Amino acid sequence: MIGAGVAGLTAALRLARAGLNVTLLTKGVGGLQLSQGTVDVLGYSPTDPATRVANPLAAVAELAVADPKHPYAVIGVDAVRTGLAFLHEELGEQLLVGDPETNQLFPTAVGAIRPTCLAQPSMLAGICMDGARFAIVGLRRLKDFHAELIAGNLARTPLPDGGHVSARHLTIDVPARPREVDSSGLTYARAFDDPEFRARFAAELRPELRPEETVGLPAVLGLKDPTAWSHLADLLDHPVFEIPLPPPSVPGMRLNNALMAAARAAGVRVINGSFVDTPVHSGGRLVSVNVETAGAPRTITGDVFVLATGGFESGALTLDSYGEVTERVLGLPLAGLDAAPLLHGDYWGGEQPLFRVGVAVDPSMRVTSPDGSAVPDNLWAAGGILAGAVRWTEKSGEGIAVGSAVKAADAIVEELA
Amino acid sequence: MNTPQSSPPPRRSPEQLSGDPAVSDSLDFAGHEFARASLDHCVKCTICETVCPVSAVTPLFSGPKFVGPQAERFRNGESVDHSLDYCSSCGACTLACPQGVQIAELNSQARAVMKADHMPVRDRLISQTTLMGTMMTPVAPLANAVLANKPIRTVVEKVFGVHRDAPMPPAQTQTIQGWLKKRGPRKTPATRGPIVFFHGCAGGYFEVETSKRSIEVLEHLGYEVLVPKQGCCGLAQQSNGLFDQATDAVLKLCDDLRAAGELTIVSSSGSCTGMLKHEAHEIMGVDDERLKDVATRIRDMMEFLLEVADAGELPELSPIEMTVPYHAPCQLKSQGMGMPALDVLRLIPGLTVVESGATCCGIAGTYGLKKEKYEIAQAVGKPLFEMVRDTNPDLALCDTETCRWQIRKGSGVPTEHPVFLIHQALGLS
Repeated sequence: MIGAGVAGLTAALRLARAGLNVTLLTKGVGGLQLSQGTVDVLGYSPTDPATRVANPLAAVAELAVADPKHPYAVIGVDAVRTGLAFLHEELGEQLLVGDPETNQLFPTAVGAIRPTCLAQPSMLAGICMDGARFAIVGLRRLKDFHAELIAGNLARTPLPDGGHVSARHLTIDVPARPREVDSSGLTYARAFDDPEFRARFAAELRPELRPEETVGLPAVLGLKDPTAWSHLADLLDHPVFEIPLPPPSVPGMRLNNALMAAARAAGVRVINGSFVDTPVHSGGRLVSVNVETAGAPRTITGDVFVLATGGFESGALTLDSYGEVTERVLGLPLAGLDAAPLLHGDYWGGEQPLFRVGVAVDPSMRVTSPDGSAVPDNLWAAGGILAGAVRWTEKSGEGIAVGSAVKAADAIVEELA
Repeated sequence: MNTPQSSPPPRRSPEQLSGDPAVSDSLDFAGHEFARASLDHCVKCTICETVCPVSAVTPLFSGPKFVGPQAERFRNGESVDHSLDYCSSCGACTLACPQGVQIAELNSQARAVMKADHMPVRDRLISQTTLMGTMMTPVAPLANAVLANKPIRTVVEKVFGVHRDAPMPPAQTQTIQGWLKKRGPRKTPATRGPIVFFHGCAGGYFEVETSKRSIEVLEHLGYEVLVPKQGCCGLAQQSNGLFDQATDAVLKLCDDLRAAGELTIVSSSGSCTGMLKHEAHEIMGVDDERLKDVATRIRDMMEFLLEVADAGELPELSPIEMTVPYHAPCQLKSQGMGMPALDVLRLIPGLTVVESGATCCGIAGTYGLKKEKYEIAQAVGKPLFEMVRDTNPDLALCDTETCRWQIRKGSGVPTEHPVFLIHQALGLS
């Protein structure tokens, strides 16, 4: 398994649960930690980006028909459902709740509203519904959470049904630790793991709250203690919700830490710290890759390989100054290069075709060749490396990742049986 | 692949260099060359901030991203942020970085430049690991008594700045070389050819039992184990910014190890192995064929055993019914080879190994000995000490010596190298 984002971790865990020997190769911490800690399946229609999706799974099924080049067309709605159920089961109700058939609208750190279908329990009270009354609470020593901006934007944004939330802002000053004026969200999250800090915080905030208000806080309510947020709500005697921040994203860390711990406990051998390179092929198969272990490279062999390295944002795909797009680990041929131009010069304009470039797969997630050149026949791919999606505008990243990860893992288990 | 590229940074003028006799080649390298090469790969994702064990427990260190790639942009032979001295050089940031920024290396280099003209006597002394061993072994009972003596340690703290409660190595009455001389011929035939064993200073003088058991395991596998006379790798000097002394030491050691022949080198001294594999080159810029040669051939003991196991050549292991905590040291993880001890120990039937999940035990070589950093090092280690006590109050496993001293002292739990259980499972103890 090459890559430790949500796709790599999910596939590695599923393969290990099936009893296979899995080695996970990664350069550093995967991208899941940088995410908002929710599971997006489909937030906006790829064919009509202005339209929010109400039922993600139904929309995935429609998209699979409407756009045969989209990853969901080869993954299929059933694999997405299976993948979400697997992830849900592995992470448990303390970390993930929701219904893949229903998108809810959650506030962002700039006060926009964002559709997603599985979220952390600590976020649920923030679902934007007509008549909701929010008090958005900023922390004076925490940058990146501007309560006034968030409350102002939420209050002026009409909801899809024409309704409104009301929101006001306030700021309180409870230091996460002494003699520190600029604390990161993570420092606050560690403080909130401590029940005594929660009590001190609640004592400062509670007198400021008005009846019937729901309290919106930055997503820093505990890193290790999954009951920190509900304990705080009890102390305040008000419903509480978290709004994810730019990285370090505490909700993203919770999911990443839980999946990595589960993978290790399931026996996945994790080799962290080096870029993977030098694929060796024999008889149409990939035999080994190298990891740049300190001192000298080590050769990692495998019966099958899974590429789950992400897209441009992780550096798995690169564009050079000659306009050449490269898949960096294995040098695979890429799909989506036929669009011209790949990049148009209008930064704020329409979609850039470059972002749909990626690796092509068959319905079992086995890598295929879009141009007739050879690809190894024991190679699968999952997640952001797949061609055909613009994950960040569609809000489809985690759905594609877990759907393709589970489908690839199940196909590999069948192949090796 | 992905070698960071950037234009050469500005050099100090010849007048600046000639006016400063303390500026050596390795310090010049540290201040100017390698340090900035990977800097522009930083995308400010903050992943390094989330793994730093020091900034997690104290606001005195502002975190690897700020002190590393961000502050580095403002350095030009000058120090702009003295919180840099609180970096323990555990390397967790570099290991976690998905972009290939060598954050810990940047910080080690910048610290060496910062300390160059006012190196504390204390830092010169505590990095003399061989000297400590040669002085303490002949008078082991006395040395142990002195180190356990509170009034003496208080004076040492006041005069030298070594914290009175900091963990100290247990002096032994016999060195590994002494044991090798006195023991009889091996009991099993050497069927697999020769191999070189590197024990390091701590494995030679203090953690002698680890070296003995490693040699016995290697011999049991059929190797003829050669143990050439060997000096210090210079790691403690490197981490204290004494780059010239450390460079001399590591090259001398390469000569020692190469004298035994073009063989695989195995070591149960995890952090010294890291010094030879990459730190001497990456942090101090030592670019020498002798070092490259040794770096390519050396294996950590458990890494070597995993290669043997993966090749299907590890003999059957007897069951050990036990649950044991295992802590992978930061300087072992930074070698980018995963956690081989965990994978090998899992081959012992009946043994449940619980990985600590801790980034660092806090000691980070000599960091946790220093009076101004002792409390931080203890705070870093606290969750690990608790995890160890909760998992098995009678035994913990950890690959490097100073980390074992820290865990023993902090948790009160006897802590040994993972090879102890392999030794036992092979029927050797």
